[in-house]
Amino acid sequence: MSSTRGASAIIVAVMMALAGCKIIKTPTAEETAQSAVGGFDPDRMVGEIWDSKVVPYLDRKAGPFSEVAALAASNLEAAGAKYGHKEKQGNAPWTFAARLSGTIVKAETKSRSAYVEVDADGDGKADARVQIGPAIRGTAIRDSLDFVNFNEFKNQIEWAQYGKAFNTLVNGLVLEKLPRDQLVGKKLDAVGAYPAPAKGQLPLFVPVQLTVAG
Amino acid sequence: MKLTRRMTMAAFAAFLAAGSALPAYAADLIAIITPSHDNPFFKAEAVGAEAKAKELGYETLVLVHDDDANKQSQLIDTAIGRGAKAIILDNAGSEASIAAVQKAKDAGVPSFLIDREINATGVAVSQIVSNNYQGAQLGAEEFVKLMGESGNYVELLGRESDLNAGIRSKGYHDVIDEYTELKMVAQQSANWSQTEAYSKMETILQANPDIKGVISGNDTMAMGAIAALQAAGRKDVIVVGFDGSNDVRDSIKSGGIKATVLQPAYAQAQMAVQQAHDFITTGKKPAEEKQLMDCVLINSENADQLETFALTN
Repeated sequence: MSSTRGASAIIVAVMMALAGCKIIKTPTAEETAQSAVGGFDPDRMVGEIWDSKVVPYLDRKAGPFSEVAALAASNLEAAGAKYGHKEKQGNAPWTFAARLSGTIVKAETKSRSAYVEVDADGDGKADARVQIGPAIRGTAIRDSLDFVNFNEFKNQIEWAQYGKAFNTLVNGLVLEKLPRDQLVGKKLDAVGAYPAPAKGQLPLFVPVQLTVAG
Repeated sequence: MKLTRRMTMAAFAAFLAAGSALPAYAADLIAIITPSHDNPFFKAEAVGAEAKAKELGYETLVLVHDDDANKQSQLIDTAIGRGAKAIILDNAGSEASIAAVQKAKDAGVPSFLIDREINATGVAVSQIVSNNYQGAQLGAEEFVKLMGESGNYVELLGRESDLNAGIRSKGYHDVIDEYTELKMVAQQSANWSQTEAYSKMETILQANPDIKGVISGNDTMAMGAIAALQAAGRKDVIVVGFDGSNDVRDSIKSGGIKATVLQPAYAQAQMAVQQAHDFITTGKKPAEEKQLMDCVLINSENADQLETFALTN
């Protein structure tokens, strides 16, 4: 079956070439081999679940940022159970899903790992740092999902590539389009995830949906 | 009740040993197999595991495989032959070790892996490993900051057969490669070895005197690199390691190496023994086989709190 298809593809390609058409880049041998054996392709895997599972899951799970942060401060386990996820074993921190709305009070856009700081409670001080790429730190989106699990991957390398694929996708889909100028003072609305921060540090929020309005 | 049962078992074993040619079964033995203790990281694992095992009332058999898969296979045979109830293993290669762990399983001896995973699940009971990717990203972020987001640098890689060498390198590059003004001028394996890192660093430095930083896959190689750099009078070069050894802690405090990433080696080994104990006594497995332990960045701000692969408060 597949050899028949391969043969037809060659015939079509030859016909196109004969007709003087421009030949579109064909997959390399490696790519062909990978798709043939159903090789590990994290970008495809993440792309397939993004709209159908990832965004709806976070949208459903997310609490208002101030509520999530307040509950995490008073009762971390309760906040985790309600808004968060973590692996059953090991010592990874909770990763929370949250809906963040507020005013941008600081913008660092020169670094490759650019971010804006957002005041969510109106006191003029930053409550969260939102990563706006292109370099996104950590694996918060992957770690916030209760339907993906390290144990289903061959090893840490594939698990890491999978984690990065979420960042790559959100970068292309959401963050690249974001204007970078005069962000301070604008209003930000986002849905996303952040790992429980270390003491004294701002939550490092990774958005899956983001709007910035004047 | 439990004591009675154990005594009955012991009596039975003694009877078997006395009355037949069967090998004498040690009552409650845990085998602890790691790479060479020359690297303080592996020593800390073995010490941590041994302390926990003794605390729980086990005898221990501490062995080293020197990253030799054949030797590891023989040691597994030894552990099986000695009637170990469990094996705590920091393995000698993510592919090559699968067969060895399977062999132990087939002989009825469960394995609890620490530090390094194997490319298979369902063979070991537990695989408790540092989150090397997360740790490498922490180290790389600090490195990028120290480098001021620009300049030439060198990467020292670990042993190729060890998955951790690859995952740390990937973690480093997923961060560093985002900065186009950071240029890697040399990338070489020093096989986790301090002496090898020293000689590799000497050679690299001759070919590339214009380097500004060195990022290393572990602490022993970072120690080798800093020694070579200091011998060449290059105290300006930024060195970042991975492991959180006391040697690197002391170097950080004296202004040598700038940062490292702590793997909770001692805690990991103890956790593995606890899980082995639970499995031996109740037959209960941990909820998940593969378990990740997050790493912590160590620099001049918190180096004081570091002692034998654990942070004190």
